[in-house]
Amino acid sequence: METLRLWASYGAEAGWLSDSFSYAFMVNALVAALLLGPLLGGLGTLVIAKRLAFFSEAVGHAALTGIALGVLLGEPPENPIIGLFCFCMIFALLLHFVRNRTAVPYDTLVGVFLAFALAGGAALLMYVARKINIHMLENVLFGSILTITDFDLLVLAVSCGLIVVVLIPTFNRILLSSISPDIARVRGYNTHFYDYLFVMMITLVTIAAVKIVGAVLVGALLLIPGATARLLTKSMGSFVLLSSFLATLSCLIGTVLPMELKLPIPSGASIIIVAGVFFLFATIYRIVRKG
Amino acid sequence: MGPEIEIKGVSLQYAQHIILEKITHRFEAGKCHVVMGPNGGGKTSLLRSILGLTPFKGEININWLGDKGRIGYVPQKATFEPSLPLTVMDFILLNQSRFPLFFRANKKHQQVALQQLARVGMADRALLRMGQLSGGEQQRVLFAQALLDDPDLLILDEPTTGMDDQGVRYFESLLTELVKEKKTVIAVHHDISAVRRLQAQVHVVNRTLLDSGSVSEVLQPAKIEQLFNHYGSAKRTTNMTPDTNKKAEVA
Repeated sequence: METLRLWASYGAEAGWLSDSFSYAFMVNALVAALLLGPLLGGLGTLVIAKRLAFFSEAVGHAALTGIALGVLLGEPPENPIIGLFCFCMIFALLLHFVRNRTAVPYDTLVGVFLAFALAGGAALLMYVARKINIHMLENVLFGSILTITDFDLLVLAVSCGLIVVVLIPTFNRILLSSISPDIARVRGYNTHFYDYLFVMMITLVTIAAVKIVGAVLVGALLLIPGATARLLTKSMGSFVLLSSFLATLSCLIGTVLPMELKLPIPSGASIIIVAGVFFLFATIYRIVRKG
Repeated sequence: MGPEIEIKGVSLQYAQHIILEKITHRFEAGKCHVVMGPNGGGKTSLLRSILGLTPFKGEININWLGDKGRIGYVPQKATFEPSLPLTVMDFILLNQSRFPLFFRANKKHQQVALQQLARVGMADRALLRMGQLSGGEQQRVLFAQALLDDPDLLILDEPTTGMDDQGVRYFESLLTELVKEKKTVIAVHHDISAVRRLQAQVHVVNRTLLDSGSVSEVLQPAKIEQLFNHYGSAKRTTNMTPDTNKKAEVA
């Protein structure tokens, strides 16, 4: 990382790159965006195919409660990763467990869990506010590239690597388990296993992305690039590739643009605005082409 | 050679609603069996029980003659979201290998997929989205999917629903071919004239097994009238094996 930051610094000094690249946090943020973008975009296509958009939002919101719990249990306020990981994982797995054992419609169940987690988080924040500067929460909610450390990048790289290694051989099976679970089961695939595996991947990527995109908006980055790509592609392969490309582009532009324009916008917000603009253009393109 | 399927005292109920009641029967190996009966009579539940897709009481044994073979399945209906960019080719490849769809497609896999689609007359539709196809076309693709691994046991739940004449012809000729190869086929079917053409073993299920035998034995004019009556109004027929007769009395 140090070498990369040095190169960026030389590049900025020599005038090849913008001045922003002389800042270490900017390089960190771009590396994070390059790691996260393709993965969020790729997983987003499965989120759409499995109709889990609301679920990924809920996990993002549960991150808030996880962070509050972690801080209360004595973790450092700037990086309560154990509380965040444990709470989000338990939240997601419990939600899926209950879903498989009740007849309550899935969106209702996610709504209940989401509200419960948020209420718990709101209650805990009162206590957390006594321990830390409450403005730190803005970073958690909407992301902040300024706070990304080498440790965060390491966590992000390990999480992304793990997910890619698991996702490549299981992508087809996860997709078949969601679009035709009976056929998948007759073929001998354990559909429950693939369901839980996917939920764990979504949770892991959400946790890894909280620092850069923020808890409130991470679900949107799983959803919007995929939704945009769905409007423009005709096959599953191009759907995944375009979604990954758009998510990466949104992350890069959303990170660089506020710095270049000197706008005081949180990175998560700018990334989602860029992704939203792509979606808007794609929708207009479809309407114009159709009409 | 396909397996024999042995069903012993199989019962199934959802909440208080009894679907199947102590069915004991044997589907002979290497033959085509058609399960008929009224809507809600438990045909699909029987098939799903054989496949292990639904919990039931009793015992079902799939007796393979030799090593365990492969099973192909065509569900009653699969719903494909029209806006999801999942092409017919994607769907077949998905069933065929672990090689992720977002990698450059393997030529060999694509060729095999196209060959299977050609068997059901769908090769020219390979690049259309699954959600764009009509119900009958989707059934054809599902049938191609079931044939992918050269299965020894084929279970088909109303496979010709929504199919046009051409689709039905493809389906019937493939089925005849499979039976010649001594595969075991079990299909739910409603079309009496199609069942007559298939010359299959017919089994009438309406909560219990009401009748079983060859087409000429079961599909007699006097019996056809009662074939699609709902449970309670269906009269027991007399043309049953001693075993099934006993079961009908118990029920």
